[in-house]
Amino acid sequence: MKLFGKKNKKNKSNSLKQPNNIVELIDMCKTSSDFMHYEHSIKKQTIWLSFYKSLVDTEILHKDILENLQEYKHYSLEELKESIPVEKVLTTKDVEQMQNRMLRGYILLRLDEYDQKGLLINAPLKKTRNVSVPEVEFSVIGPKEAFLESIDTNLNLVRNRLPIPELMVKELKVGKLTKSKVAVLYIDGVANEENVNTVIQRIKEIDIDHLVDSSYITQIISDNPKSPFPQLLDTERPDRASAVLTEGKIVIMAAGSPHALIAPANLTEFFSSFEDYFLNPVIASAFRIIRFFSVVFSILVTPIYVATLTYHYELIPKDLMGTLITSREVVPLPPILEAIFLELTIELLREAGARLPTKVGQTIGIVGGIVIGTASVEAGLTSNVLLIIIALAALASFTTPVYQMGNTIRLIRFPFIFVAYLFGMLGVVLSFCYLIVHLLRLTSLGRPFFEPIYPPRLKDMKDSIIRFPFSRNTQRPVQLQTEQTERYSKRDATKKKDIDE
Amino acid sequence: MGKPISDSMKISPFLVLFLITSVQVGVGILSFQSKVVEHASYDAWISVIIAGIGVHIIIWIAFKMLRQDQDIFDIQKELFGKYLGGLFGFIQCLYFLVLSTIALRLYIEIIQVWMFPHISILYLGIFFLILVYYVINGGFRVVVGICFLGTVIPIYLLFTLIFPLEFAHFHNLLPVLNHSVKDLMLSSKEMTLSFLGFSTLFIFFPFIKHPKKAHKWAHFGVLFTIVVYVAISMVAFVFYDEEQIKTVIWPTLGMWKIIEMPFVERFEYIGISSWALVILPNMTLTLWASTRGMKRLFRFNQRKTVIVFLIIVLIANVLINGHERISLLSEYISRVGFYMVYFYIPFLFIVYTIYNKVRKSK
Repeated sequence: MKLFGKKNKKNKSNSLKQPNNIVELIDMCKTSSDFMHYEHSIKKQTIWLSFYKSLVDTEILHKDILENLQEYKHYSLEELKESIPVEKVLTTKDVEQMQNRMLRGYILLRLDEYDQKGLLINAPLKKTRNVSVPEVEFSVIGPKEAFLESIDTNLNLVRNRLPIPELMVKELKVGKLTKSKVAVLYIDGVANEENVNTVIQRIKEIDIDHLVDSSYITQIISDNPKSPFPQLLDTERPDRASAVLTEGKIVIMAAGSPHALIAPANLTEFFSSFEDYFLNPVIASAFRIIRFFSVVFSILVTPIYVATLTYHYELIPKDLMGTLITSREVVPLPPILEAIFLELTIELLREAGARLPTKVGQTIGIVGGIVIGTASVEAGLTSNVLLIIIALAALASFTTPVYQMGNTIRLIRFPFIFVAYLFGMLGVVLSFCYLIVHLLRLTSLGRPFFEPIYPPRLKDMKDSIIRFPFSRNTQRPVQLQTEQTERYSKRDATKKKDIDE
Repeated sequence: MGKPISDSMKISPFLVLFLITSVQVGVGILSFQSKVVEHASYDAWISVIIAGIGVHIIIWIAFKMLRQDQDIFDIQKELFGKYLGGLFGFIQCLYFLVLSTIALRLYIEIIQVWMFPHISILYLGIFFLILVYYVINGGFRVVVGICFLGTVIPIYLLFTLIFPLEFAHFHNLLPVLNHSVKDLMLSSKEMTLSFLGFSTLFIFFPFIKHPKKAHKWAHFGVLFTIVVYVAISMVAFVFYDEEQIKTVIWPTLGMWKIIEMPFVERFEYIGISSWALVILPNMTLTLWASTRGMKRLFRFNQRKTVIVFLIIVLIANVLINGHERISLLSEYISRVGFYMVYFYIPFLFIVYTIYNKVRKSK
């Protein structure tokens, strides 16, 4: 056990010092330089103020609090409370509460330095950027809002779109040190209660010291955290979040994260862009089918190339064989090395492009794509045909609208290539079987992840690989087991008038 | 009766269609034509239908005999007592184990003959069996999932039947019905190996959500299988000469060989590879049934039994060598299966009906 460092370290890191009384609390806080603790004299009296200057908006302090206290002398905290026009003011003796509140941007106000009782006034400093255009899930048409790092703004963006009392927000605290706010959103009476409870239960059980982004939650509460497939859908679009809420899904938001999580998710959702709903269903369906095939193509094309050229050249018709031979004639490497070399190059380019600042990143893409590609073909290290195939495969993998899924797709082809090298076409099919079985075994909040393909549910197929018109999509997905299955009346939506009426 | 199966583990009735079809369509479909023509020659497609009707009857018996949450082991225990019933159950488990082994061995044989003559059975077997383990470990839901996809995805292979029609001689089929009933029956007996395996129904029955509704789907499943078999046999009969087809071991593969498309030739490589997706449900369902039986009979842990059985399958696959031995074994198992399905099960049905009547009248 020692080898893995699993020694009993229980409770060592968790026990932060707890002050017993207010003096200890102030002394403890004062060790940090950004803590202010001073006697403030206003016209008719003096008061003691204690707060973290890094958390408090001094404008509120001066304009809203101190200015209002100047008029006459206050003898008690209650009187003070009445004069302060701030919405969250509370009197307390509880030391722990004082500490927690001050760490959330409250000001502690007391009449005397050694008073046990104090007034906590809410004056938090909020620095966030403005609501901007979604960058990861960009859409040409449709709303141009994206979530921010501030959970309050995010909640506002969603609630603005769903002005109903049934929209429930359950707030939880996660992280021993970061104490991040996590909000679970659902529509009461629509979302399945069991799902909601599962989500809340799992979030409550999270035992971690810091939570800085919602992706931490995905990784921790997923049904199978070892799987390369993301099992919760993340989105930065408030419109998508509100749309899935009406479907009966659950949205999870974490403070400090501009991405909300959607649960339960299924595989086909990862290949549907929210823009599909802004387009006419015929066009949207066509794009979805293209995307679906591009994913299959992206995963399978290089392994098939390796398998064919290693074992089954008989598969290639004579005319095509000529082209391949001229292209591969000078290449000294076996197909597997050639493919791995090029695939890795593409991965390198992508990774370098993603890490570098945007402007340099673009240059890298061009330099890498054109120069390395042409040079390696001219040097005779790779064949033209493979270069085309791999570039296409990379391009196809970028059509996936969800970034996390795109990563998965690019990575799972490597095992495919190796197995294709070992067993040829049979290897490709067998790896494909492994992939299918893995997908079959995955669940998202206990609901099948491969749905509606398996278990086959025709009703849910209406909004998966193809998208039916809104008038045909009148039911909520079966996968979610919602409490109200009907979204709107199908009869009204599809009613047809007679000719010339 | 064992522990009742919770509703979340059960499957929708219509999935029974895919369970029945996927276990019936296997390696047999690549080679059955040359066997069925032996007696009935080109009237053999009628034999295929006759064999199919036989399956329909057994399915009907199954749904008549079994009640909800009941499998064949319950019935045998009730009728023959713990020990004799257990022995019959054990034989059935072994039978499914051998069926699973032979499915893999036949497939590997095809790979050896058509694709990789020097492939290592051991490594390929291990790779395949880990996959099988991965499926069964996921529970019956995943087994059904693979049966479903193993039926739906390979459907595209049916379109390849159009290509051989270019060289079809439809007069091969004429005259129709110029064989005796006896010949037709003998030929349909030959069909049984291909249709075997559907008796897993007697074991997975308690996993069906509404067995009454599933009844028609089971029949549709058999019907679909028959249509596929008849179509493939017809195409083979019009494509091959009668004398030729008797000497060809895998007529379906031979037909794939002539397919030429602008971007692909020698389609049999793709076909045989894709066939892995057909063999997989075949193997997993029979092996699942076998290990499930062991669990029901001896209360063994199914996860552990699967590992033991997979190792047995692997060893058997490595040890059985040569076309003669493989075909001998498959002939034996198909004979056992034939008697089990067409004699033992109707016998069981009759005895059980009488038993129930007697008990009721008391």
